[in-house]
Amino acid sequence: MIQEAIPFTPQTAASSITQILWLIPASPLVASGVIALLKQPRRKPAAALAIGSLSVSLLLSLAAFAHVLAGWANGHAVRETLNCTWFQVGASSVSMGWVLDPLAAVMLVMVSFVGLLIFIYSVGYMAHDWNFVRFFCFLSLFAGAMLGVVIANSMLLLFMSWEIVGLTSYLLIGFWYERPSASAAAKKAFLTTRVGDIFFFLGMVWLFSQTGTLLFYNHGAGSLEGLALNSLLAQHAAFGITAAGAIGLLIFAGAMGKSGQVPLHVWLPDAMEGPTPVSALIHAATMVAAGVYLIARVYPLMSAGIPLMRTPGVTAITGALAVVTWVGAITAVFAALIAIAQNDIKRILAYSTVSQLGYMMAGLGLGGVAVGLFHLITHAFFKSLLFLGAGSVIHGAHEEQDIRKMGGLWSKMPATFATYAIGMLALCGFPLVFSGFWSKDGILEAAHSGAIQGPYYLLVFGALLTAFYMTRQVSYVFFGYWRGHHPAHESARVMTMPMAVLAFFAVTLGVIGTPAWPWFRSFLNGQAAHFDWHGFAEPGLLSLMAMSSFVVFLGLGIGWWLYGNKSPSPEEPDALEKAAPALWAGLRDRLYVDEFYGVTFIAFYNWWARVADWLDRRIWGGIVALVAWLFRGWAQLNRLFDNDWINGGFDKTCEEFSSSGGLLARVQSGRVQIYLRILALAVVVLVAILFWSARP
Amino acid sequence: MNYVDLFRATLPETVLECAALLVLVVDLAFLRNSALRMRAAMAAWLGVAGCLVAVWAVYAASPGAFSAGNDLLLAAGGSAAVAQLGILVLTCFALLLLVDSGFTRNPGEFVAVVLMSAAGGLLISAAQDLLVIFIGLELLSLGLYILTAFAKKSGKSAESAIKYYLFGGMSAAFLLFGFSYLYGISGSTNLQRIVLGSYTSAAGATPLLYLALVMIAAGLGFKVAAVPFHLWAPDTYEGAPAPAAAFIASVSKVASFALLISITAAGWHFLDVLHAVGRMTITAIPPGAPRPHGVLGFRYGWSLILTVLAIASMILGNLAALVQVSVRRLLAYSAIAHAGYILLGLAFFSPWGDRSAQTVLYYILTYGLTTIGAFGVVGVVERVTGSDRMDAFLGLHKRSPLLAAVALVFFLSLAGIPPLVGFWAKFNLFAAVLGASQGALPFTLVALAVAFSAVSLYYYLQVLKRAYVMPAVDGSPIRAHPVTLAALWVIAAAVLLLGCFPSLLQGWIAGFYPAG
Repeated sequence: MIQEAIPFTPQTAASSITQILWLIPASPLVASGVIALLKQPRRKPAAALAIGSLSVSLLLSLAAFAHVLAGWANGHAVRETLNCTWFQVGASSVSMGWVLDPLAAVMLVMVSFVGLLIFIYSVGYMAHDWNFVRFFCFLSLFAGAMLGVVIANSMLLLFMSWEIVGLTSYLLIGFWYERPSASAAAKKAFLTTRVGDIFFFLGMVWLFSQTGTLLFYNHGAGSLEGLALNSLLAQHAAFGITAAGAIGLLIFAGAMGKSGQVPLHVWLPDAMEGPTPVSALIHAATMVAAGVYLIARVYPLMSAGIPLMRTPGVTAITGALAVVTWVGAITAVFAALIAIAQNDIKRILAYSTVSQLGYMMAGLGLGGVAVGLFHLITHAFFKSLLFLGAGSVIHGAHEEQDIRKMGGLWSKMPATFATYAIGMLALCGFPLVFSGFWSKDGILEAAHSGAIQGPYYLLVFGALLTAFYMTRQVSYVFFGYWRGHHPAHESARVMTMPMAVLAFFAVTLGVIGTPAWPWFRSFLNGQAAHFDWHGFAEPGLLSLMAMSSFVVFLGLGIGWWLYGNKSPSPEEPDALEKAAPALWAGLRDRLYVDEFYGVTFIAFYNWWARVADWLDRRIWGGIVALVAWLFRGWAQLNRLFDNDWINGGFDKTCEEFSSSGGLLARVQSGRVQIYLRILALAVVVLVAILFWSARP
Repeated sequence: MNYVDLFRATLPETVLECAALLVLVVDLAFLRNSALRMRAAMAAWLGVAGCLVAVWAVYAASPGAFSAGNDLLLAAGGSAAVAQLGILVLTCFALLLLVDSGFTRNPGEFVAVVLMSAAGGLLISAAQDLLVIFIGLELLSLGLYILTAFAKKSGKSAESAIKYYLFGGMSAAFLLFGFSYLYGISGSTNLQRIVLGSYTSAAGATPLLYLALVMIAAGLGFKVAAVPFHLWAPDTYEGAPAPAAAFIASVSKVASFALLISITAAGWHFLDVLHAVGRMTITAIPPGAPRPHGVLGFRYGWSLILTVLAIASMILGNLAALVQVSVRRLLAYSAIAHAGYILLGLAFFSPWGDRSAQTVLYYILTYGLTTIGAFGVVGVVERVTGSDRMDAFLGLHKRSPLLAAVALVFFLSLAGIPPLVGFWAKFNLFAAVLGASQGALPFTLVALAVAFSAVSLYYYLQVLKRAYVMPAVDGSPIRAHPVTLAALWVIAAAVLLLGCFPSLLQGWIAGFYPAG
């Protein structure tokens, strides 16, 4: 199904849009700074600044996208960079810069567009929060940093933006810090992602030490370009992995933390303690996708050693990409399993996000940048739609999040139901009409023809589970009868409108990634795109599509059979629980990953903390106290010498002379005499030191 | 000797002197009946304009080095140009602080003296000859004594000025005595020839050279407030009016360190000439054999003196600062400590690629900028509360959030916290020290300097703790003149911006040096 790979001629000269590309992240960053200075009651200016600045970013992103598109239409593979030296230490220098290529352009538009919709939605969702201004300050800071991640052409700039993104994630998860669970979740998110970031940092340092540059692209001298890659390939780390692969794996560890891949996924479901727009923007659409984006960005490093342009029949895969694929596939199934047995509407979506991120990783590993990124883009739209829908449901159901206490909302919240259903079907991969089908199908197809077969079966099983747990959730929430206390109501226009827009894209985005018109793939890879029905005639493709459709229908069917219109009361055990209580308990308790960490890592750290505490109190504390005491004594001695001895002596002398008048003159002459004696003495001492040390 | 060349080479100084006279004339002739505020503002702005014209003159006269015969009198470009531009910019900011202060009824004279002193600073930044150096130093110093005494109603001001003057006079005597020995040894007043003479003539190997070097170090150590020649500094910083103190702490330091760079670089550049000869002589000496003074003389002695001064300044400056209760005295001791770090950079000097000179200038320029800002804040607080005690800063955050914010930037930058420019200054300087010479000694000293930087954070935070954490005793808002506030904001923005983009200033400085 892939067109002939005719690479376009590269276009690397920085155009005017590239020169002002920095304005895209700078605009929300500045807005965030200004909002930080506003007083709390200033709601309108804060929201207006945040939305206005992100609109500027969106317009610029669209302009950048149009520029890349125009270049592509003229047969150029646009990759424009603008670099400058950040600082210099001796002979080596650290450079910064930004890059505009199809990958960055697509992400820019997605992040600023989804971000803008969620900003607008937040105006309604957070209307009653007393920390409204602070919320928009953090949100703008996040948007700026995330856009910084996207345009960074330097690993260091990317890492710095990445860390700011992590910081804002921490701040926003713990936004309602009065709730202990929220602040605990914020800490957990921060610490867990930090584990990955340490490896990322190590990878960065290794890359710098090997290539001498942290720039990705620099007219042939960047770390992702031929020269550097060849030198990295020539070196072997351990276990038969090249340096390129080892660095790639370290970076992937950072991506695992951010993108919630098993075993670092534990923070993401807890992160749902944050306000729902935050879950939609940060923990569904953009930040968690930053890990996937990072792998896509350093893909040349991960895939170094096999031809960059994938052609049919070539099924080679590097060790690093195999790891990415397996981690992704395992995550996809693992999280989907847990999602089955959750009762919190946002937690189900969170596990679903983890699972879908696994799909993206697997897609990257097996099918290349375009396959993984297409799912990233479609997922960003339908998952943020689902989160906004969940927020709307929670809002309408009076802050209730337990799906067992909802029901029958389809008639009470028709707009929410309609959009939510679209998002849900897109997520399940309902055939032909929904974007999720095409993006997931791309991944399955890549897995089917891939070098390793294991992930393919995992991913198909994951698709079945996805359809099943989403059907269960929708049945609980929207069908049957209402089990809550107060009657639910539909949300305000400012909230439903962004959902409608997202729903529109959740359907239509599929058009650009069908096998008949693989526009997205061609655009990213820098090839021409043709409309050709024969794309479907690829051997095995139609049967694969039929099979994946069958799996989806199977999942939907089982789900409806077990839960549809049943309206079980909250106390009643779940339908599955009756069938397999032991399995259910395991899934409900999230397969005991948190508990496992509790008895291993956390127990170890607690023990270690106790040891360190003991050392601190008994050993280091004593030494510090001793040093402090010594220094204090010394300082006192100095003061004695400077103030008391010299000055004090004079004060005494002054007092004696005070009766005879002319006090000031005497004070000065007296003090300065001593000063001058010290001066002369110092000269003598210095000469003595010099002679002594220079003696033959 | 060509007078047109002389005019071109001294164009910036001439501009400043003319501006000084203009300020006096305008103040006397046209503003006699105006309000004091008006006169102060007019004088300050005229002074700033004079400095800006001088900046243009430095750029215009940049190729204009000046020599008498074969001996270079005034250097151009390189360190000289960077230091001169720095002096002019810092003078502008120091002058702007005058607008808001009412310590004198003669602002015109104050500005005129400031400009003349600055002219002295420009002269010694470029001077390559002992006589020019001495004249420039006196021109600078005499102005500073007058500025210190300018608050005529304040007894403290007069007291500190007379101390400063006596101490300065004594140091100048030492300096001149040292110069005369150097002339005696080498038969020349030109720096390069003196160094050459110290290596080649028989007298260069005598202890007289060391005596001369120590005396010169005493004279210049006084200017940069290095321990043990620092005793004037706390009194002067405490007694002088705020703009004068800011001027002494910044402009005079830049000029004096530029002079130290000239002397040190002369000693080291000469090594380039003797590179082959020296290398052969040194390697020819078997270990344990007597050290030949003639080869290592100037460089070894000078570097050792600077090292001793650096260690003493770092230790004593930082420790004494810990127990101060007056913010001005605290800034004085902190200035001593910073002088210690910079002297370390000079003691382990690397002539290759002018790296040491560049990092020292980077440090002193950014330090000067930050310290002017700090004195500006102290001046405002002092004017309102009548005290420069730390407790005058209590609750500054509530009383004037903007002032507290800029104080935060300045003090953290002085402590060397990233992403402020003070961090990069220290980082570059220490990196240059480690890059210039290998061995345990420079490493130990850099470790000591880093450790004392950590100590210094304590006393800077003492001020910030009062400004931000501790409750205000007096909650009335503090208002500053908009010009002062704007100047402080510009400085704070520069400290932050240069900290975020360190290569801006690095590149600017490097641009004045020949490439390579």
